[in-house]
Amino acid sequence: MSFFDYHHFPIYSIMVLFLGAFLIVMFGKNKAVRNTIAFLAVSASLACMIALVKPVMLNGEIIAYWMGNRVPAGGYAIGIALEVDQLSLFFGLLIATAVFVSGVYSLQYMDRDDNVPQYYTLFLMLAGGVIGLVLSGDIFNMFIMVEILTFAAVALTAFRNKVYGALEAAFKYLVVGCIGSTCILTGIIMLYAQAHTLNFAQLAALIPGNMNNATKLAFALLYIGFSTKAFIVPFHPLAADAHGAAPASISVLISGVLTKSGIYGIIRLTYMLFQTMNLGSFQFLLVFVGSVSMFVCVTMALAQHDFKRLLAFHSISQIGYVLTAVGLCTGLGISAGLYHAMNHTLFKGLLFLAAGAVLHETGTTNLDELGGLSKKMPWTTALFLVGAFSISGLPPFNGFASKWMVYQATYQKAAETGNIGFLLVTIVALITSVLTLASFVKVSQSVFFGRLPAKYENVHEVKPGMIIAMSIFAILCVLTGLFPGFVTKNLTEPAANAVFSAVRYIDAMMGSGYAGSVMGDNLPVVSTVSFTQVGYWAPVSWLLILCIGLLAVTIAAVLGKYDRVSEARPENVDPKYDLFWGGEASEFSQVGGGDLFWGFKHNWRHYFGFMHDLHSGVVNDYSLWAIVALSLAVVFITIVL
Amino acid sequence: MTMVLSALEYLGYILIFPGFLFCFFVGLLLAGIDRKIVAKMQKRVGPPILQPFYDFFKLCGKETIIPAAASKTTFLMAPLVGLAGLVVLQMFIPIHGWAAFSGTADIIVILYLLLIPAMATMLGGSASGSPYAGIGMSREMVTVISCELPLVLVLLAVGKVAGGDSVTFSFSVISDYQLANGSLILHPSLIPAAIAFLMIIPGETGNHPFDTAEAETEICEGLLAEYSGAPLGVFKLAHAVKLLTLSSLFVALFLGGVGTGIIVIDGIILVLISIVITILTVSLVHAITARLKIEQVFKYYWTVVSGLALISLVLAWYGL
Amino acid sequence: MFEKLINESAAKSPWLFHINAGSCNGCDIELVSVLTPRFDAERLGFKLTGSPRHADIVVVTGPVTKQSLPRVLRAISQVPDPKCIVTMGSCPQSGNVFKGSYSVCAPLSQYVPVDVDIAGCAPRPQAVIEGLALATKILKEKREQK
Repeated sequence: MSFFDYHHFPIYSIMVLFLGAFLIVMFGKNKAVRNTIAFLAVSASLACMIALVKPVMLNGEIIAYWMGNRVPAGGYAIGIALEVDQLSLFFGLLIATAVFVSGVYSLQYMDRDDNVPQYYTLFLMLAGGVIGLVLSGDIFNMFIMVEILTFAAVALTAFRNKVYGALEAAFKYLVVGCIGSTCILTGIIMLYAQAHTLNFAQLAALIPGNMNNATKLAFALLYIGFSTKAFIVPFHPLAADAHGAAPASISVLISGVLTKSGIYGIIRLTYMLFQTMNLGSFQFLLVFVGSVSMFVCVTMALAQHDFKRLLAFHSISQIGYVLTAVGLCTGLGISAGLYHAMNHTLFKGLLFLAAGAVLHETGTTNLDELGGLSKKMPWTTALFLVGAFSISGLPPFNGFASKWMVYQATYQKAAETGNIGFLLVTIVALITSVLTLASFVKVSQSVFFGRLPAKYENVHEVKPGMIIAMSIFAILCVLTGLFPGFVTKNLTEPAANAVFSAVRYIDAMMGSGYAGSVMGDNLPVVSTVSFTQVGYWAPVSWLLILCIGLLAVTIAAVLGKYDRVSEARPENVDPKYDLFWGGEASEFSQVGGGDLFWGFKHNWRHYFGFMHDLHSGVVNDYSLWAIVALSLAVVFITIVL
Repeated sequence: MTMVLSALEYLGYILIFPGFLFCFFVGLLLAGIDRKIVAKMQKRVGPPILQPFYDFFKLCGKETIIPAAASKTTFLMAPLVGLAGLVVLQMFIPIHGWAAFSGTADIIVILYLLLIPAMATMLGGSASGSPYAGIGMSREMVTVISCELPLVLVLLAVGKVAGGDSVTFSFSVISDYQLANGSLILHPSLIPAAIAFLMIIPGETGNHPFDTAEAETEICEGLLAEYSGAPLGVFKLAHAVKLLTLSSLFVALFLGGVGTGIIVIDGIILVLISIVITILTVSLVHAITARLKIEQVFKYYWTVVSGLALISLVLAWYGL
Repeated sequence: MFEKLINESAAKSPWLFHINAGSCNGCDIELVSVLTPRFDAERLGFKLTGSPRHADIVVVTGPVTKQSLPRVLRAISQVPDPKCIVTMGSCPQSGNVFKGSYSVCAPLSQYVPVDVDIAGCAPRPQAVIEGLALATKILKEKREQK
């Protein structure tokens, strides 16, 4: 194989990032050198991923790459392997894109911080860790990558350690993250004891023959381990603290990339390693946890006073959608879940970058202090609105397309199984969506619109590099929303197919026919996903009609002298242009963002009071939650299933 | 040639029927009838039926003041986007099986498109910088949340009945079902849902007693406090069009079997039914109630109305 | 044609904004009574608005106390053109029984051009309706002059 053969690309995409990390340690003192290395590393990684789209995604090839060409001998896979199927590549693409944009953004975002070389080192380690995790074909390698990314993420959370709460957040993350990592390691050990191999494909072939309580316990441990990485309930408070403290570019990675690695782990675990298990019962757990995450986190977000903490809770809420959809076990469900996972990376990245822009210019993300920035930062406002509309699922942005698929999937599942519980999930999902809209209305009111406090008179727009980074996300948000047919056909549908084709995955790695020879009767049926549009949604024609409509109104308005307005001129202070405040001189009276929707919260005061008491912020409590969640998962999986 | 003709046809749909012109006239007519009926119920003579037209044209002739604290673009564009969103929404709602643009949207899309006008009002209001608008925005959002739950339940129930075992979100399926089996309002399990939907209409349109967001006596018209001139007129127009939109949504969901198949007559029938619905749900309620507090609005919708809708959903689910 | 429609409508939809400049509440009650079923000014298109930005006619009651004068002027300046200023009751026209008091700034016409004065203490609803109807005519003239 030549150097530029695409079979090498997976390892290149991981290598360039780690290499970049080490080069920055050595030569990173100079700003120009450092930025060049970081930019080259993230772009090279993204380029490798994009180059893989044609062979893997479109042609359906599964790349099995043995390090040092140590192919399996004697029926056992000993060597380290990478395996890239459509699912891995799907996540790899997302992650590489998010890393690239975040890297571009960091170039100007981090200009006021100290110790920037260390930042880039950790940044690239984190990125390399996540890409390594999704491309790895070997469960122990996966664990190593989990460790690398966890520690990089912990260190980056504490990176701005002068900020109040940063060290505390990092400490919490470290403690609970270590509980998760330990669970993963223990799970791997138990699997190894049962199957005597660490290779993913071989494990997937051997475990169905060895389904006993030990493997089920391993499953529970691995599930909890990956849950901590995805921050789903009950690990959501960590995410809020971590996002609140970390730089915005890192929040993009934590929410858009790190949580995805958890979701990826859970999908691989459920549909690949334990594919013959009674998924019908297990999906209950995923759907239940997903719905609870969705709803609890969106209500928690409504109660937040801080821009980034609010976004953090929304992040988990959207992950709840992903988990619910993935847990449905139908082709449409998995397709919807993956689509939403992708959209989540895009719009949440955009929103975190917008929050970072606000923080960069004003020095705070407190919703009660900010206001009226749209006059000073018009680009950031426009891009934020794109992100806000996307996450709240307003047509024609991408959040709508994927949420709409989630509703269809859950409602269909409810109809197929006759189970009214799934109907409840549809309702919860729809209500969560409108609550999401509510909290973004709150943010837009208290950060970008409303009154501009006097102390922010001198705020100005962020630098073009940061705007470009945000624009990449915004454009992707619009495009993936406008062409859902294209996205599902070329990205999520192949990935969803890969989820169901465990045999192909095993055979690609271990040689064809291996799955059949080992598993015999247990051979899972390869169900092909037939994605059919269950409803009617043609965003392009809709947008066209809206544009014609808007054009018609605008022309009518211009003809009717709509735009002949009287505006305040800077030189003359005329009370005519003051705000109406009962005739009083316009004094500063900002409507604070903290408790904006009290009409809603008043009716739910007992719920919010309970939630407030529950989220004590004490790391001991959160560790206890982790242990309780683990115990419940163990009980559920080993006894109920 | 055929291309040009079909393009002209679609342009006609957008601009004339069921697009802007139709919405403009019928919407304002409904608003006028509403004011007249309220006046009659209070033993007043009341304004002429054409009063909303006068109001609209008068506002077009007024000065538009942009407060110094406002963000100009958002402030001016918000009313236009809201109106355009509503009119586009109107075009997706089938009239006795006929829709100007079929295959473009289903009921979940409609659910979200209904948020666009509310969103436009909220963003426009909050872009004005007024603290009254801030409070109004908060109330408007809570009203939207309040109406969302019963609306979702009603739509899911309708989807279950019309789709049978393979549930549906599609408007054309719902419409075909009604053409074949008669209007859904006659379906016993959907009667509570239809009542719930009628109860949602005053909340969605922001009419008495749920007009907390635009309470003129306590928060100086709330969201619209800083709007003047033509933008205010467009908002008032959008508010009137919303009456038509929700009435036609009711007709499409529950009275789809009423009609002749001739589009002109069906259009007239739609207008007549919309008038009846407006009088029933908006005017009568307006004349006999006082404004609620915002937490009462929320409580009312999430208990009484949602309860009705939920009964319907459960009945539909178990095939009664 | 559009202009003509606007000019025609200008007189048919006058929206009121009411400012109390230290009134004894008598005129305020009478103003509201104009909207009651007995007199029903809404048949002429009158409507009370909550914000000066929506108003065409500003109705000022009360003797314009020193405290309220800047507020009254500010609120009046916030009404978009074309607008019409109506004083209601004797107080804003002359100061009425409060004339000469150290804290009263009446008449209002010293500060802003007043279009219609409705005399009386308090004026009868019939008088108020007549005054307002006069104001709508002035409103239309102002619109046409523009």
